[in-house]
Amino acid sequence: MKNYHRQRDILFSVIVFFSTFAINLLLQRLFTTQTLVPMIFVFGVFLISLKTHGYCYGIVSAIVSVFAVNFAFTYPYYAFDFFVEESILSAVIMLIVAVSTSTLNIRIRDQELLRVREQEKLRAESEKERMRGNLLRAISHDLRTPLTSIYGASSTLISKYDALPKEQQLKLLGEIQEDSEWLIRMVENLLSVTRIDNARVEVVKTSTVLDELIDSVLMKFAKKHPNQKVITKMPDDFEDIPMDSILIEQVLLNLLENAVFHAKNMTELVLSVSIAEDLAIFEVTDNGCGIPEEALKKIFVGSYKRAATPVDGTRSNMGIGLSVCAAIVKAHGSEISAENRTGGGAVFRFSLKKR
Amino acid sequence: MMMSNNKYKIMIVEDEANIRSFIKVNLETSGYQVICAKNCALGMMMYASYRPDLIILDLGLPDQDGLNLIQEVRETDTVPVIVLSARSNEKDKVEALDLGANDYITKPFGTEELLARIRVVLRSHRHSKENENTPGGKFQLQDLLIDYDKRQVFVGKDEIDLTQIEYNIMAFLSFHTGKVLTYAAIIRTVWGYSDYGSVKKLQVNMKNIRKKMGVTPGEKRYIINELGVGYRMLEDDEP
Repeated sequence: MKNYHRQRDILFSVIVFFSTFAINLLLQRLFTTQTLVPMIFVFGVFLISLKTHGYCYGIVSAIVSVFAVNFAFTYPYYAFDFFVEESILSAVIMLIVAVSTSTLNIRIRDQELLRVREQEKLRAESEKERMRGNLLRAISHDLRTPLTSIYGASSTLISKYDALPKEQQLKLLGEIQEDSEWLIRMVENLLSVTRIDNARVEVVKTSTVLDELIDSVLMKFAKKHPNQKVITKMPDDFEDIPMDSILIEQVLLNLLENAVFHAKNMTELVLSVSIAEDLAIFEVTDNGCGIPEEALKKIFVGSYKRAATPVDGTRSNMGIGLSVCAAIVKAHGSEISAENRTGGGAVFRFSLKKR
Repeated sequence: MMMSNNKYKIMIVEDEANIRSFIKVNLETSGYQVICAKNCALGMMMYASYRPDLIILDLGLPDQDGLNLIQEVRETDTVPVIVLSARSNEKDKVEALDLGANDYITKPFGTEELLARIRVVLRSHRHSKENENTPGGKFQLQDLLIDYDKRQVFVGKDEIDLTQIEYNIMAFLSFHTGKVLTYAAIIRTVWGYSDYGSVKKLQVNMKNIRKKMGVTPGEKRYIINELGVGYRMLEDDEP
């Protein structure tokens, strides 16, 4: 790129210089006056300074032009004579033209470059903004439902407190609790997304012991789903992997919960980690009903639309949970993938670099 | 029922009225006496006049950082402090623990969890007071037994063959059972100095301890691992 610029600039300068020289020769033949000569050379210097990069072409062409004027177009013709005051003055003027044009030119180019960079930044920003927006739309829709139900149930309880039989009251209270639990999960996911800092795409990674990460995930999972057994497979050695442990914990919890909520008829839920050279590969595998082919493609996209309310009436948390997973894994410089297993069920997979 | 003047006195320092009120109701129905403060300054004043047996402290208070209160209280007193913290902030947790908080609980939390933590902290505080003058003796937790005099550790009938360092870690955790000990606190006690690799050194030792005792990830036995913060030895009757 640099070389290309230089070649073009040199070629351009040479062509312009010889053109001005030729035009001057021509004019000299046509008119007898020489008043145009310095002007045309100044114009040539101006053009060169305008179209080339940096100061040097303009300055060199200014000096060469002074020589040319001195040599070819002032008396004595075709010989140098530097003791003409005119010549020194014109040299000064041409140098000033060259330098000021180049300065202007460089300033304009810098601004241009800045604008291009700004635009690129804006584009990246708007891409991120779009992802965030999609996520937010999906979330705010899903937040309204449980909030409506909490608000409704609690208002009912207060206004009809004496009229409602005790079982009814307990049922409403149970619904409030259930919906709040669901809201908590949602907010945890939201917090994870905001933790991926606006300014930096990179997350803050700290060295995390694999055993302790899995231990913590299993503890939290067991608290929410005490009846769901999770089979773990992981290397026996001490492994520490740089990551934002809170976020990766969230990813694994989301994947496990996703299986609990959506893998119908699941009897086996496996969380496995394997080490392959410098990668740690995390997999969450179930033997449930699998993922419909058409959902598989856009399962990690934030703009997930609920195709149909699940038959059993449970609320779908999948879209947001999984798109949060994708965002987190992406912020760690990796990709998450989902596929159906040949034997039935689904597997979610992502990997993290060990160094 | 306990006599009312026998009840544990618990102070809640929390600026959100709704959270204060539900904690208060829960504690009172569980047989504790409760006093409330809605900011740090009030908390310090009430601490001075009521001398509570336990403090539940929210870190995000309107007037000053809750950490100030821990610092001030710790200058003169060992009263247990449980910190209420936001989930995503390990730094706050570590700081609070290093200043002398006994435990933290992450918002949002269930009332059962809070009550369990309170019981554990009160109990271990009482233990540590009783044990202050008798460093020797034995420590029993489920089927884990630590014999301080012989420097031996048993799971069931089997003696666990620990290295010096591993034993020191276990002993330190067991002295402060129920309390979350930060990496820095453990390192300071066991090695006496800390350098760049010391957290990793501690983690490797912990992995070996757990392996030798036959504890696999996800199993809630003996030692709880608080990711990114530190470790805590379980209390005897913890659920």
